[in-house]
Amino acid sequence: MSEYFPIFLQVVVAIGFAASALLVSVVLGKAAKTNKAKDSAYECGMPAEGGAQPRFSVKFYLVAMLFILFDIEIVFMYPWAVVFREHIAAHGPGIFWSMLSFAGVLTVGYVYAIMKGALDWKS
Amino acid sequence: MIPSLSLEITVLLLGILMLLVESFSRSDDKRGLAKMAIGILSALVGFSFFVDPASGNAFYAVDATAHFFKVLALLTTIVVLIMSLEYSSVLAKYLPGVTPGAGLGEFYSLPVFTCAGLMFMASAVDFLLIFVSLELVTISFYILVAYMRRHTASLEAGVKYLILGALSTGFLVYGITWIFGLTGETNLAAIQHALATKAVATTPLLFGLMLLLTGLGFKVAAVPFQLWVPDVYQGAPTPITAFLSVGSKAAGFVVLLRVLQPFLGVPGVGVKVLAVLALMAALTMLYGNLAALPQDNFKRLLAYSSIGHAGYLLVAVASVSDTKATFGSAGVAVAFYLAGYLLMTLLSFLVLIVVARHSRGDDILHFNGLAKRSPFLAFAMLTAMLSLAGVPFTAGFYGKLLVFAAAVQAGKFWLVGIGILTVAAGFYYYLRIVAAMYWQEPGDTTPITIAPLTRTAIGALTLAVFVFGICPQPILRQLKDGGVSAVQENAGKPPQSADGLRPWGV
Repeated sequence: MSEYFPIFLQVVVAIGFAASALLVSVVLGKAAKTNKAKDSAYECGMPAEGGAQPRFSVKFYLVAMLFILFDIEIVFMYPWAVVFREHIAAHGPGIFWSMLSFAGVLTVGYVYAIMKGALDWKS
Repeated sequence: MIPSLSLEITVLLLGILMLLVESFSRSDDKRGLAKMAIGILSALVGFSFFVDPASGNAFYAVDATAHFFKVLALLTTIVVLIMSLEYSSVLAKYLPGVTPGAGLGEFYSLPVFTCAGLMFMASAVDFLLIFVSLELVTISFYILVAYMRRHTASLEAGVKYLILGALSTGFLVYGITWIFGLTGETNLAAIQHALATKAVATTPLLFGLMLLLTGLGFKVAAVPFQLWVPDVYQGAPTPITAFLSVGSKAAGFVVLLRVLQPFLGVPGVGVKVLAVLALMAALTMLYGNLAALPQDNFKRLLAYSSIGHAGYLLVAVASVSDTKATFGSAGVAVAFYLAGYLLMTLLSFLVLIVVARHSRGDDILHFNGLAKRSPFLAFAMLTAMLSLAGVPFTAGFYGKLLVFAAAVQAGKFWLVGIGILTVAAGFYYYLRIVAAMYWQEPGDTTPITIAPLTRTAIGALTLAVFVFGICPQPILRQLKDGGVSAVQENAGKPPQSADGLRPWGV
């Protein structure tokens, strides 16, 4: 268990820091004071209008999801590119075909998304 | 002799091809796509018998268990696709701007992807592959369950399934992490080797196993992780309900069998895990069968009945021997019971889809007087119900017999007692359907038309239920020699060299 001591220490420091920051702001500042202006979304500037949870178009979610999907492939490609040269010398070209098939599957997904109009903002 | 992996790759390529056709095709009617998939998957069932037995590696086992569950996965997918064809007109009602039979390419291609996941899972002997294939299955199901976008029940089912499925996956991964942390291995054979040679602390190991059991308990719908089942089964499109109750369950049990195996021989662990499983089995049997009694909706009734059947399967799993590291007769019982369960469940859902389409509803009262409207369908449903209840000369009876025999062999007499009690409760609610079909007057007397493909499938399944019940010996022999019990021993060997640990020869 002793090798976990640094982690334990880090947890204690993190909790202690957060707690002391809150405590200091209550004692030294005026954080404990509440009134109507304090509780509003923005304390100064223009008065807020409308609800806090407006409806977004589903297109945003679609684009965000596709972005994450095609973004994540880099996570796989980076370590692949790092070991590529040594691996191909030691074990043959299997590593190349693996990545090619992975990229192929992604390409099919991309083509599918385009043909289905997922990236078509106007429709 | 073909490498075993080519089966899964073909299924995946088929799914990808179907997606591409769906996106490029100008034609509205995608039913041809489903028919093509049915043809190719049927051919693969044939090809699966010519698999090279030496084409496995440390991640991927090629043995009789794997082959058996792969054939089950393929057959289930074929029947589900036949159901989907039958269901397409209902589905179109709940999709925006779709005429009957049109634009349903994804509804046919996602089951194919699910099938690939199920087939991978049948062979997976490494936690990484087990997890990835389980996710392939589960994520496809998330989409399929919520497929009827204009149907609130389907959306509700989708949300429930997504949240609980993601939660259970979290438990599973956390459990795998604990076991990996203790043994330093993800490969099941290597874990067994590590547990036999190294001293591993028992308490954290049990904690990891508890998390694993929780995750898998969700997948097979065992009490106390069954709360999602009735709503999800009722809300999902009926072919998907059938797929969930058969495919998801079979996958959960094959993983459970494989995952438990390395831990059974560990002193102080195997006995405790089996005791927990026995308790879960008893509760699952009681809950499933008692809660099914007052149901009026047929899909909901089948949902509770599927919980009950998970209980009987758990009885067999809990009866595996904890001294030897093999499954023996209990493994055979699980495999045979699952095969029988698959036949009778698919049969009852197939008949339900046809009847529900003509009667516009899936309550029990819609089955009133079915014998007068279509004696063929009524007889098929009668077969399915008798088999689910466990009447002699059907697949269900022989499966239960094997399960209880395994429990007696393991000395778990109290489980057999509860089992027989719940079977008696089962008779009541299964025979209510039979009574409705044969002794009630039909509310609607129009005769029912059945598509030729559906008729063939119903006929074949009805026949198979009787074949499994009357002469099960050939199937059992297949499972026994070179089968489930013997191959488990081979799977327990540690990999010969570091070379064996590299995936797909990369």
